[in-house]
Amino acid sequence: MIIIAIIAILVLIFGISIYNSLISKKNQVANAFSGIDVMLKKRFDLLPNLVETVKQYTQYEGETLTKITELRGKALSTNATEGDKLALDQQIGTAVKGLMVSVENYPDLKANTNFLNLQTTWTESEEQIAAARRNYNATVTTYNNAVMMFPSNMFAGMLGYQTMPVLETASEERKNISAKELFNS
Amino acid sequence: MAQDFISNPQIQPVLAELETLRKKIVSKQTQGWGAIAFGILLLIIAVAYSAVIIGVVVGAAAIIPGVVILYKISDEGALYKSRFKHEIIGAALSSIDQNLTINPNNGIAEEEFKFSQLFTQEPDRYHTEDLITGKIDKTAFYFAEVHAEYKTETQGKNGRQTHWHDILKGIVFTADFNKNFNGITVIRPKDFGATLGAWFSKNVYSFGNKNVVELENDGFNKNFVVYSTDQIEARYILTPALMEKINDLNSRSAYTVSLSFIDSRTYIAFPLDHNYFEAPVFKSLLKPDLLKNDMAILGFMYDIVHELDLNTRIWTKQ
Repeated sequence: MIIIAIIAILVLIFGISIYNSLISKKNQVANAFSGIDVMLKKRFDLLPNLVETVKQYTQYEGETLTKITELRGKALSTNATEGDKLALDQQIGTAVKGLMVSVENYPDLKANTNFLNLQTTWTESEEQIAAARRNYNATVTTYNNAVMMFPSNMFAGMLGYQTMPVLETASEERKNISAKELFNS
Repeated sequence: MAQDFISNPQIQPVLAELETLRKKIVSKQTQGWGAIAFGILLLIIAVAYSAVIIGVVVGAAAIIPGVVILYKISDEGALYKSRFKHEIIGAALSSIDQNLTINPNNGIAEEEFKFSQLFTQEPDRYHTEDLITGKIDKTAFYFAEVHAEYKTETQGKNGRQTHWHDILKGIVFTADFNKNFNGITVIRPKDFGATLGAWFSKNVYSFGNKNVVELENDGFNKNFVVYSTDQIEARYILTPALMEKINDLNSRSAYTVSLSFIDSRTYIAFPLDHNYFEAPVFKSLLKPDLLKNDMAILGFMYDIVHELDLNTRIWTKQ
C-alpha cells in the first residue's frame, strides 16, 4: 500500500514538473522575443548619431540618409509589430551597409573617431541581434519539441499549445563576419 | 622549427656547456645511488649472517658518502634545470616570437584558476610552474603548467586513507578576448554527469542546471556542454564561426578541452600527459629531437590567438 502511494506521489510530482516545464518554455519564448526587441532598440538608437555624423562630411548621400531616418521612424512607431521591426531592421542593415561602402569616398569621415566608434558599435549590434535571433530560435525549438513529444504533448494538447515558427536566418548571419569585407570593400 | 633552432650557432655552445654539466650530474648521481645500494646490500648480508653491528658500521660507511654525494650534486642539479629553462627554452621562445618570455617559478595563481570557473571541483592541492607570456598584435596572453588535485578519504582496514585525484594536469591558457561581455560562459567536456544535468534542465522543470545553452552546431554539442549566465551573450561570444574554431582546436588536442569566458578574457584548459619544458637528465642534450615535444606545444599555444581570431577587433573592444 505504502509502495503504491509512493509511486503515485512520484508520478504526480513528475507530472507537475513536466506541466510546469511546458509553461516555462512558453514563457521563455516570449522572453527570447523581448531579447531581440531590446537589441533592435539599441541598434535603432545608434542611427540618429550615425546619420548626423555622416551628414557633416558627405554631400551625395542625402537620399540614403533620409531613407534610413524614415525606416527608423517606421520601426519605432507604435504600430510596428515585432515582425515589421525585424523586416525594417533588415532594410536598415542593407542601407547602412551601402553607406559604409560609400564612406570610402570620404577620407575625412573615414578618419573621424566618432564615426569609427559608431562603425564598431554598429558591427557589434549586428552580432548581438544575430545572437538574440539564435537564442529565440533555440527557445522555440525547445518549446516545439515539448509540444510535440511524449509525455509533454498530452499537457500541450490540453492547454491548446501549438508549435511556433522559427525565424529564418538571414543569409548575412550565416556568413562569418570579416573585417576585410567590412572595412576594405 | 625545432631542428633549425637546435643547430643555431648561438645555442650550440650553451648546449655543449649544459651537456657537460648534465654528464657530471648523471655520473655523481650514479656514484651516490650506487654507494647507497652497495651499503644496503652489505647490511642485508651482515644481518643474514647475524653480524648486525658490523653490518651497520660497514653499511653506514658506504651509505653516508653516497648521501653526501647526492646532497652536494643537488644544487648543481637545480642550477642545470634552471639554466635549461631560462637559456634553452627562453631562446626557443624567442625563435618563435621575440615577445615570448618564460618565468619558470611563476604560473597561473590558484585564485585565478578558481576564478576561471573552468572546473567545478575546488583543488585541495595545487602546483603551477613555467609561466609563458606574450603578445600578438593587440592580444596579450599567457599560459602555464598546472596540476590541480582534490582528495577523497576512505576508511580502510589500515585506518583512514587519502586518495588524490586529478582535476587538471596540463596547461591553462588565457588571453584577452576580442569582445566585451559582462556575464560568465563556460564550456565543459560532455561527460555523463553533464549530459544528464542538461537533459533534466531541458525536460523537467525545477531540476538540473537552468543555465545550459543549447547551440546549433552538432559537432560542438557532441563534445561540449555550455553553461552561461546570459543566453544571448553566450551566443554573442559563441558565433557559428567560433564554434567551428573550437571544434578544430579540440580535435588537435589529446583530450577534450574546457573553456571559459569571464571578465572579458578567455581561459582554456588542456589536459596533457607530459610534463613540458623540463631538462632531460638521462638523455643527451645534443640529440636533434631534444625540443621536439616542447616546440610542438609552444607552437600550438602560440597559434591559439590566430586560430580563435582574437586579433579581429571590429567590435567596440579595441
